[in-house]
Amino acid sequence: MTEDRDPSIMTRRQLIRHSAWFGAAVGLAVVGGEVISHIAGTGTGTAAETRPTLRFAQVSDSHIGFTGPANPDVTASFGHAIDQLNGLGYTPDFVIHTGDLTHLATPEQFDQVKQQLNGLHTPHVFTVPGEHDSVDDAGQKYRKVFGAGTRGAGWYSFDVAGVHVIALVNTLNLTKLGHLGQDQLDFVKKDVTSLSNDTPIIVFSHIPLFAMYPDWGWGTDDSMQALSYLRRFSSVTCLNGHVHQVFSKTEGNVTFFSATTTAYPLPHPGDGPAPKPLTLPAGKLHDALGVREVSYTKGQQALALKESTLS
Amino acid sequence: MKALALRVVIAAGLVIGGASHAYLYLHGYGQVPTIGPAFLIQASVSFAAALLILAGGPDWLIWGAGALALGSLGAFAMSRTIGLAGFVERGWQPAPHALVSVVAEAVTALACGAWVLGAARARGRSARRR
Repeated sequence: MTEDRDPSIMTRRQLIRHSAWFGAAVGLAVVGGEVISHIAGTGTGTAAETRPTLRFAQVSDSHIGFTGPANPDVTASFGHAIDQLNGLGYTPDFVIHTGDLTHLATPEQFDQVKQQLNGLHTPHVFTVPGEHDSVDDAGQKYRKVFGAGTRGAGWYSFDVAGVHVIALVNTLNLTKLGHLGQDQLDFVKKDVTSLSNDTPIIVFSHIPLFAMYPDWGWGTDDSMQALSYLRRFSSVTCLNGHVHQVFSKTEGNVTFFSATTTAYPLPHPGDGPAPKPLTLPAGKLHDALGVREVSYTKGQQALALKESTLS
Repeated sequence: MKALALRVVIAAGLVIGGASHAYLYLHGYGQVPTIGPAFLIQASVSFAAALLILAGGPDWLIWGAGALALGSLGAFAMSRTIGLAGFVERGWQPAPHALVSVVAEAVTALACGAWVLGAARARGRSARRR
């Protein structure tokens, strides 16, 4: 006795066979992922067992003193960011604020942001100025509060845990784009001369050192000169603010990471005529604001970044 | 014989594209939020699919390989235009991996398309015979 079977209906044997293929695909993909992760030294086991050599956090663009519907209380938002960093579960080796600490660079705004930064549970707080911190005096008030130990117009460098950190000022002498200037370029060239090629380099600046969107001034006109001094290093990581959104880009040995803000979001590059503060629907603002954790483990080429919203 | 040749081409495309992504993952891209894990998944799924397609896996594996290749090409195009999860690169950087990946993924997608077309024709012939 034969039974007419609809060929479009799967038999139990076919179902079992397809399930086996599916299981094999998933299993092999997982094994492949584990092998690659293991080679990278970033497998879950390794990460759990190895404490990073360096852990720090980045905040940016707090714009203390800003008033507007995009964020009616930037001071509270910055306080929220500081609370979040104090609740990381470990003490970051330092915290970097990548500029636009204040909105209009008044003494009261600098005093407010300084007080809030003093509330961070970390041994060191570093800063670089944004263009809002030097609106009327080429950064004099900024340097009075945050300029101790810096050179020139506020740039500096230091070594920590085998990593060389360079903090640059590209918000003075602005035309449309950010600008470093010859004195600072000479500083960078001299600063890295004695370093070996395998020294990890971290560069802080306010305005991006890459051409993120030059039409809006989101780039630095002489950054290529500075980066040319860093080409020989195997790992260069540039962290910036200014653009109020997370963004990343890799060019050869250099990886650029733009950070978000703790104040108010700006549009994506090219969305609209100008980068004006965006007013988000109620309850959505904190999803656009955030802080960043950065860690470096000796022996690994690149830094690991973790972005967190102000939730 | 033609089917075996197509399987070999698809598997080779997957392995080359996956190897490019794995290399980039190991050399810096692994640290880029969202993009790093995506590269890892692309590479591991590519290697798994290549192996199983060579081993004579079913048609849906080949459809999946085609979708993976098209998805990777789409992600590449986004990273060069509007950005992908905040990640943007220019042109064929990083060289030569960007170009190698795109060629491998295009070949994979075309070979998967040829496979799907062939399978559809075969089903049509079989239906007419019945």
